[in-house]
Amino acid sequence: MSLDNLRNLYQQVILEHYKKPRNRGKTSPVHRHQRGHNPSCGDTIDLTLQLDEAGNHIQDVKFEGEGCAIAMSSADLMADAMRGKSVKEALEMIQRFQAMMKGEAEFPKELRKLNVMQGVAQFPVRIKCATLTWHTLKAALELAHSETPEYVSNES
Amino acid sequence: MTLTQEKTLAAQVRPDFPILHQQVNGKPLVYLDNAATSQKPLVVLDALRDYYERDNANVHRGVHTLSSRATDAYEGARDKIAKFVNAASRQEIVFTRNASEAINLVAYAWGSTLKQGDEIILSVMEHHSNLIPWQMVAQRTGAVLKFVEPNANEEFNLEQYKALISNKTRLVSILHVSNTLGYINPVAEITAIAHHYGARVLVDACQSVPHMPVDVQAMDCDWLVASGHKMCGPTGVGFLYGKLDLLRSMPPFLGGGEMIADVFLDHATYADLPHKFEAGTPAIGEAIALGAAVDYLSSLGMDKIHAYEEQLTAYLFQQLQQIPELRIYGPRPTLEGKGRAALAAFTAGEVHPHDLSTILDEAGVAIRAGHHCTQPLHRYLKVQSTARASLYFYNTQAEIDVFIAALREAVDFFASIFG
Repeated sequence: MSLDNLRNLYQQVILEHYKKPRNRGKTSPVHRHQRGHNPSCGDTIDLTLQLDEAGNHIQDVKFEGEGCAIAMSSADLMADAMRGKSVKEALEMIQRFQAMMKGEAEFPKELRKLNVMQGVAQFPVRIKCATLTWHTLKAALELAHSETPEYVSNES
Repeated sequence: MTLTQEKTLAAQVRPDFPILHQQVNGKPLVYLDNAATSQKPLVVLDALRDYYERDNANVHRGVHTLSSRATDAYEGARDKIAKFVNAASRQEIVFTRNASEAINLVAYAWGSTLKQGDEIILSVMEHHSNLIPWQMVAQRTGAVLKFVEPNANEEFNLEQYKALISNKTRLVSILHVSNTLGYINPVAEITAIAHHYGARVLVDACQSVPHMPVDVQAMDCDWLVASGHKMCGPTGVGFLYGKLDLLRSMPPFLGGGEMIADVFLDHATYADLPHKFEAGTPAIGEAIALGAAVDYLSSLGMDKIHAYEEQLTAYLFQQLQQIPELRIYGPRPTLEGKGRAALAAFTAGEVHPHDLSTILDEAGVAIRAGHHCTQPLHRYLKVQSTARASLYFYNTQAEIDVFIAALREAVDFFASIFG
């Protein structure tokens, strides 16, 4: 088996966040709650956000759910990266992440941890695992409570 | 190997399957996803090609030579399937797109006779294709769904079934072999009990017809469905078996050409069986190729295929049990590999099934990871997804060895990182 390939996919950072996630749970209070799932495999993500009073900045992100090493570590890394960001910045980062998974862009130095997900882009069937949580965050930020669907899916 | 030693079935048939002789990620392909779809032997590919190269024409219409050849070959495939499952009449075999469509046909055409409070018994282990159509029937008619759960051995709970069934039961729709648990349902016994209460029985035989002799008359089921692509045939074709009188009593499913006798502007009369249920131009080439697949399977012998798969099952479980981190679902086979299908759904300690599938793919091994279209069963087993290796008669013990070695490496890879 080509372990080099696998080490590229399962980089130490990814495995550490999978094994010891820092952002599992629910924010307190919950200002936004969004579920995401990948219907083809059954992976789920329950994302909660705490915003500032004006609703312009993300104070905390937590996640629950079940999924593979890629999906879970992606959620944990994203939560770390989002704390303190404005909603506008967050939406830009989502776009940048999706571009990176298509091999189009990287994150700047201060967010370079997110770049470990580049290895996933070499495994096309696993890209959805990495993007599920970002897709869910986008829905959480863009949709008002009333119009929030029970689930968003990353099938598109 | 001594000269007197007989070749295994796999050694004999592997040259028939061109797709098996390739490298994936630099390793020889080990295809262990046969419960999802089987590979196709040359005779099936040839049948498809021959039809389009020589005989392609629409069926049951033209008077010309090609149309007559196409019709003969298409109807000939029906005869082969009728014989293969021992139907009493060729009119009892209806070609469908797949098993899902066959179940939907029954759910729509016969399901509309159900009334508020009528009961349908299913099992928790059903494939979504034998669940959703009945949910839709229940919503439409007010019929009530009842579910038989697996017992402690993760087998069909016959005692619970006997307690659930009553004179209110109109239908028992049940799989023959579980694509996740590998359990082989006692369908003849289930059917006899259902008939005692006047209920009809539909058997989802997708995971049995490709692997063992199936006799609809011995089972005495009212309907049986199977998919062509899981039994060495092409995608896009499957079949419904139904008892003649029952099929006759059912209204058509889809309307269109082919299924009619006489058409007026405001009404029509319908064709006799089986054409009443085959609206529109069918998958002619695919049906003919499925006939070739049935010939191929019959020439090997379904009893021989089943016996060889039992040997593989015994070896697979013997090897899987060497890896203590695994939790394997469904009943254990006997030492001879009897009592379950040649497949194993499992979880592997720290390794999520998707991660496992990726790691195995790097070793050239194709397995399935996910819920295998049995989400309610996975929920019942309190597991989100499982990995599944499913075998067919062209798989070898050597391939099982490759799979086991890669599996062990994957488990160790994750264990080494987590310590």
